[in-house]
Formats: sequence, structure tokens, C-alpha cells
Amino acid sequence: MLRSDLVRILRTLVALSLVPPVYAASTFPDYPVSPASDYSVSTQTAGLTIGLVAVEDLKEQKTYFHTEVAPKGFVPVFVVIQNGSKGDSFLFDKTKVTYGPADSSVSTPKEGSKAGESLAVAAVPLVGLFFALKLISNASEVQQNFLQKEMQSTTLSPGASAHGFLYIPVPKNAPRQKIHLRVPITRASADETFVLDLVF
Amino acid sequence: MFQTRSSFLAGLLFCALLLSVGFVTARAQTASPPDTKLALRAALVVTPEFCATKITKGSWATIKETFEVGKIACVELEPALERVFSSLTHVTATPSSGDVQVVLMPRFVDVAATTTMSAFSNREMDVFLEWTVKDMSGKTVWIETVQRSAKHHMGNLFTHKKNLKLIVEDSVKDAAEQSASKMSSSPELRKLSH
Repeated sequence: MLRSDLVRILRTLVALSLVPPVYAASTFPDYPVSPASDYSVSTQTAGLTIGLVAVEDLKEQKTYFHTEVAPKGFVPVFVVIQNGSKGDSFLFDKTKVTYGPADSSVSTPKEGSKAGESLAVAAVPLVGLFFALKLISNASEVQQNFLQKEMQSTTLSPGASAHGFLYIPVPKNAPRQKIHLRVPITRASADETFVLDLVF
Repeated sequence: MFQTRSSFLAGLLFCALLLSVGFVTARAQTASPPDTKLALRAALVVTPEFCATKITKGSWATIKETFEVGKIACVELEPALERVFSSLTHVTATPSSGDVQVVLMPRFVDVAATTTMSAFSNREMDVFLEWTVKDMSGKTVWIETVQRSAKHHMGNLFTHKKNLKLIVEDSVKDAAEQSASKMSSSPELRKLSH
């Protein structure tokens, strides 16, 4: 009698182990990617095109991140970079990206300006998600998805493209100011750095 | 009596089968680098700080875990990259001069791991390893972030530590293999080797 009970318990455990847990069924869809020049905010220099869209709609944030990001003080910005040149490779270093308020009273950002030229903008480096994740969500699946979707440093070989999200801090529960994003790109062969400026 | 014993044995066999399938599928998939080596003398910079990299995740509300990725990387990177370069030396600081053509500098960007409620459910861990390759003039010639993952059981109170070690080992090993593959197929590094 005892043994048949054990068998029944064992069978139940085996059956339960075959059923995937509820959270395993939750999937995070990929954000759709378009050519960089198709985005309303885009710029081009030296055969390199960068385009972006700020995903500010809370429903969209829920769809792609399973959480509302804006009330936690961040705006996810989807960035696409395409290398349309035939022979040059470019280096995108995430740690060099900076952001700041786009103040109309200061000099207008120049498209594809050289890194040496000064632009009157408060340039704050993007520190990455390490500290931000705890503020956004405690759920490990949500945190993992944020990291997986984040844009990472890469080399853009001729014809190659890269895409991903940058998470930019914004004031909580208040309309945000326009943001000036500065993306330095280095031409690998010449060690020459351009800054791609985008205001959105 | 005989029937009950048979059912019990069949149940055990089924469990063993399930576990073996789980372990096989949990092993990370790796890609081997191409056969042709890059004709470059490379120095792999593994600083003591890099080897000591530990990333802690979680909070008091969830489960707090420390992923000792640096320790595993310092064992796994060299053998994986030896297959890519004609010569690879292992150094603990960036060389200022010497007989090397490229300097390979790894950095852990972050790790992410899911948690599960059940000890027998598979969890997933991602590791993000960034590479900066410089030539001897100090110019960055290649930069890449390798993202690899592995799956293992969460484990219970007694097996969690062992499973944590296994998932870190598998994801870092896979990242090392993937790094080798990416370097080997990089047009920028291939160009330098000619």
C-alpha cells in the first residue's frame, strides 16, 4: 500500500516536471528593425547612417519589455546603425555615447561633426544598465530581456549593421525635454572619430 | 506486488531518461572557429582584476547570487584563442613593447540570469563579454561584444551552488569559443594578418 502511494507520488512529480511553468511561457518579442534612413530621426556621414526611435508609448513598452519603463525614469531608444561604405570599417563603442538636453539657445548640433569640435551640450555618459535594472524591475526575466535587447559595442564591417536599445534616464512623471544624443564612431583604418548627433 | 515493483522501476527509469535529456539539451551550443589561423602574434591581457570579476545579481526580495565569471574566463580564454592566432602569449598587463602585433583586452559587460521557482526547471544565464583589440601603436582595430548563454537546473538548497557553478562555466566557455570564432572571421583582423 505504502509502495503504491510512493509510485503515485513519483508519477505525479514526473508529470509536473513535464509541465512548463507559467513564466516560461512568457516571451519577449523583438522590436521591428527598419533601415536606418527610414527613421524620422536619422543622420548620415562617411557612408554611415544612424537612425533612432524613442519607444515612449507605454503599451509598446509593455509589449517589448513587459513593464512600463517611463514611470521608472527611463526612455528606451531603439538605434540602428548601417555601414554603407564599400571599404571602411567603423567602431561603435557604447561607453563613449553621451546624452544631454538639446538646448536651442546653444549652438545647433552639427551633423557628422568632428569629435574635436566642441558642442555646448551637457554630455553625460550612458553608464549602462547595471544599476538601472534594479530600478526598472525585480523580475529576473524582465532584467534579462533588457540586457539582451541593449545595444552593445561592435565593429561595423562594410555593409554590416547593428541595432539595439539605449536606455536614457528622463525625469519621472514629467514631460521630458528634447534629448541630444552624441554617438562617436571611429573609422578603424584611420583612427579618425566622427560624432553623429541626433536630437529627439 | 510484481506489478507495483515494475511500475516503480519504470518510473525511476523514466526519471533517469528525463534527467539525461535535460543535461544534454542544457549543454551550450558552440561554434568552432575556422581552420585557418590569423598570422598575427597576439597578447591576451588578463589582469588580476579581470580574473577576479564577480557580478552579483538579485536582491533581498528575490535570490541574491554571485557569478564568478572572471575565474572561469581566465582558464577558458587562452586555449580557445590559441586556435585563432599563430602565436598567443598570456600577459597580466598591457604590453608597452615587445614582439606582439595585436593586444586582446577582454571585459565583462554584465551577466543576466533568470530564476525559477522549481529546482528542476531550467534557468538561463547570459554573459556579455566585450573585446577591444589594439595594434601596437595603441589604435583600436576591432571591438566586439560576445553574448552567449547556457541553461541548467536552478537546483535546490543542496544543489544550487553546484548548479550555479555549472551554468557560469558553460556560459563563459561558450563565450570563449564564440570570441574565438568572431575574431577568426573578422575581416578587420584578417586584413591585419596579411
